[in-house]
Amino acid sequence: MDISYIFVICLMALCSSGNSLSQVEGKQKSGRGRGSMWWGIAKVGEPNNITPIMYMDPAIHSTLRRKQRRLVRDNPGVLGALVKGANLAISECQHQFRNRRWNCSTRNFSRGKNLFGKIVDRGCRETSFIYAITSAAVTHSIARACSEGTIESCTCDYSHQSRSPQANHQAGSVAGVRDWEWGGCSDNIGFGFKFSREFVDTGERGRNLREKMNLHNNEAGRAHVQAEMRQECKCHGMSGSCTVKTCWMRLANFRVIGDNLKARFDGATRVQITNSVRATNALAGVSPNAASSNSVGSNGLIIPQSVVYGEEEERMLNDHMPDILLENSHPISKIHHPNMPSPNSLPQAGQRGGRNGRRQGRKHNRYHFQLNPHNPEHKPPGSKDLVYLETSPSFCEKNLRHGILGTHGRQCNETSLGVDGCGLMCCGRGYRRDEVVVVERCACTFHWCCEVKCKLCRTKKVIYTCL
Amino acid sequence: MSGTILENLSGRKLSILVASLLVCQVLCFLLGGLYAPLPAGHVTVLGSLCREDHGRQNDTGFLLYSRGAGACIPVTRDEVERDSMKMANELVHVFQMPLPRDLRDLDYSRWQQNLIGVLQVEFGYDSSSELREPPRELQLTIDMRLAYRNKGDPDNGWKLYAHGVEHRYLDCVTSHVGPTETIYSCDMIPLFELGALHHSFYLLNLRFPLDTPRQTNLQFGHMHDLTLTAIHQNGGFTQIWLLLKTVLFPFVVGIMIWFWRRVHLLQRSPALLEYMLIYLGAALTFLNLPLEYLSLVFEMPYMLLLSDIRQGIFYAMLLSFWLVFAGEHMLIQDSPNKSTIRSRYWKHLSAVVVGCISLFVFDICERGVQLRNPFYSIWTTPLGAKVAMTFIVLAGVSAAIYFLFLCYMIWKVFRNIGDKRTSLPSMSQARRLHYEGLIYRFKFLMLATLVCAALTVAGFVMGQMAEGQWDWNENVQIQPTSAFLTGVYGMWNIYIFALLILYAPSHKQWPTMHHSDETTQSNENIVASAASEEIEFSHLPSDSNPSEISSLTSFTRKVAFD
Repeated sequence: MDISYIFVICLMALCSSGNSLSQVEGKQKSGRGRGSMWWGIAKVGEPNNITPIMYMDPAIHSTLRRKQRRLVRDNPGVLGALVKGANLAISECQHQFRNRRWNCSTRNFSRGKNLFGKIVDRGCRETSFIYAITSAAVTHSIARACSEGTIESCTCDYSHQSRSPQANHQAGSVAGVRDWEWGGCSDNIGFGFKFSREFVDTGERGRNLREKMNLHNNEAGRAHVQAEMRQECKCHGMSGSCTVKTCWMRLANFRVIGDNLKARFDGATRVQITNSVRATNALAGVSPNAASSNSVGSNGLIIPQSVVYGEEEERMLNDHMPDILLENSHPISKIHHPNMPSPNSLPQAGQRGGRNGRRQGRKHNRYHFQLNPHNPEHKPPGSKDLVYLETSPSFCEKNLRHGILGTHGRQCNETSLGVDGCGLMCCGRGYRRDEVVVVERCACTFHWCCEVKCKLCRTKKVIYTCL
Repeated sequence: MSGTILENLSGRKLSILVASLLVCQVLCFLLGGLYAPLPAGHVTVLGSLCREDHGRQNDTGFLLYSRGAGACIPVTRDEVERDSMKMANELVHVFQMPLPRDLRDLDYSRWQQNLIGVLQVEFGYDSSSELREPPRELQLTIDMRLAYRNKGDPDNGWKLYAHGVEHRYLDCVTSHVGPTETIYSCDMIPLFELGALHHSFYLLNLRFPLDTPRQTNLQFGHMHDLTLTAIHQNGGFTQIWLLLKTVLFPFVVGIMIWFWRRVHLLQRSPALLEYMLIYLGAALTFLNLPLEYLSLVFEMPYMLLLSDIRQGIFYAMLLSFWLVFAGEHMLIQDSPNKSTIRSRYWKHLSAVVVGCISLFVFDICERGVQLRNPFYSIWTTPLGAKVAMTFIVLAGVSAAIYFLFLCYMIWKVFRNIGDKRTSLPSMSQARRLHYEGLIYRFKFLMLATLVCAALTVAGFVMGQMAEGQWDWNENVQIQPTSAFLTGVYGMWNIYIFALLILYAPSHKQWPTMHHSDETTQSNENIVASAASEEIEFSHLPSDSNPSEISSLTSFTRKVAFD
């Protein structure tokens, strides 16, 4: 006991000296947080769409973190849904930003590079949108795939019949079948949320402000999916009367979620970089347990577990159970490295050593933080708001160092006065007018069964392109 | 003459009976609330898109499925968009139920009884097209094929269950307006109703034939998501429900035999109210009969219709009973003859008959036709919906008339009792106590009826308002809808059980009582003396009227003559 205690202290001291150094390095290398590499799987299945993608694929190995690979391995069929989800996010992002200088362009995916380019390294508005839309798309697409029956591991949530005698005695999947017979299964949407939290947020520990920003925006994306769910009910009692009514949740079209997120993008909140590290440290020292973070900062907004299914996370995280037990059996270590001292504080000495503590802290605490608006007169961000740290670049000129492609060669709208208008889009460089002839099928006639006849129509279109 | 048990039962015995029945009632409620799951479960299936050859479209034996060996490879929406013809007339929407969960293929169990499918449609129009307003009553033509497969069959062993080309009308709202496309999401449309969930797996293939000469589906833009929600009764609920029925059935049958033997022991033919009680008991027994056990072995698609009819007969009988009950206690005997349904109540009951017949016709039009074609629904066509609505409005109007009339009759009974009560102080002590007790118990039963009705309504309203479950505390959860269903079912059983007991003829024969010592103040003697006094007072032919069910009636009638 004593020896291990001394050992822990030594380890702590070692790490604290090394930690500050590695943090600086880390910041220079990528300030984006670590949970963004998985976006690359959007391009994984591209060359051959027909053969099912395997989780052993080397491309997957390079994109996904260990925990993400484990999730993919344990949930057959989930990879296809993730690829679909990532592509859905990209196409939706490109749809929403088709009229802006930054048009959500993706680059050819190569190993170790980020799919959306270096813009992600900056904590600007565009980045916040990328995080939110990808997290929302994963939630949406997993829930959809469950409903399509392509993921076999979607849970049949028994919480509503946990009292049935069958659920208690038999173990494993036999009980699952009994439960299905006894009380049916829940909607699939819950699984989508749980999985999205597990998968998307895995790299974000919420230790620095950028990671908090990513976590907040990921949560915001999911909150938008949840907010757009609609309840539908059907009466089927005696003669179709409403003595018996069944209700279920219906997912909205992803385009609607994209619209809402775009509106939040326009009203995104800039949050403060400098947080009072000292104050939170002091507080953390007094009460190092996770609950203390809720009392920090009276004017800040405490982000609640905005996703309803949050409490069920425990079940999926059960592989962390030994850590918690270990933590509880060594109360002394708690004092020396306060686990998750405060989510608001920047990374500090001693955290590396307290691996157990950090894990526990992440579990209870990762989503419990508040962000203060940059302008104190602004409202603190709500759970559905997007947050960012830095102002966006102008995106006018090509700048490969920052991953900006510029607006050269983009199409614009001559008559518009908005951002899609040629004046703003081309940053005053001027534009070119072209006439093109588009050939389309039109005036089709159908015969059931089985004939379709169409004419070819030629239409002239005028296209304006930025110089 | 003899009275009923209700009048002769001592207060203590009555309270014990009521208390034990209340305990049974609470048990019924708790059985549903604590043990039963939600009455119905659902599976939400998103349609997979499959492409098929032109040649096979009219071959109804050809079925596409999305899981298992030989399943079709689904096409994505992007592939459809890229196709120059948008794969018109080549796409099949495939729904395979139930969905796999927890790494297992689930299958339907016969305990799950029935399957109701509703479809939610989402589609988009190019924003360039002229349609701007959300479409109303847009006609959709669907070619539907429902197939089944049993456990142990090969993955491609689907057998066609039903095939139909049906029209549905869509009401839609705009969910997204974009520069290229406007997306509409539509109210759900009923798709099919199966009265028997006999097989393990079901498969639905939907096609939307585009046809220029017949003008079908031409106004549609691009189909987006099609979501099928298949609702089934939960197996656990069926088990609890059948348990309740199986337990209640012998009790009600037993009490009916007991009741009828008692009536036949009397030296007179049964009175109208006794007939009504035995009919009511018979209707309840028919409802209690656990026929659902048979559906575990045989395919019985008519179960939905049958259960509607069984409930209908029971409610019709209950409503008629109330009317006759109130009428028989009207306390004004205008004809000395034995009253029958035909002689006295046909006018009163016409509202019940009209209401029940219109509901029956509606049910035959809906669920009766579904026996032949599970895709049929009377609500899907505007004309059919109007016809159905007419029947329902007719039933509603007759229900309103019935209740107004019933209230009027009950009000009259109470007024008569109130009037006659004023003459109570002039009676002897023993007689007054006895009659006050009678009135009290009569009112008690009226109150019980009112409480039962009010509880039914309140439970119904609460079941509608409360979504999901109530958490009592962390480990006790209450299912309000199941508790409502089992509670109400048990309540009407207990109510009729109590009626059969309390309105059975008493075995305490008045003539033998008459010879006992009249000076003792025991309950029986008070009753006896009251009865003897009554006979003394009355010189009316109606007193020997065999239709008298209770001495209350005779009492009030006599007072009216005084």
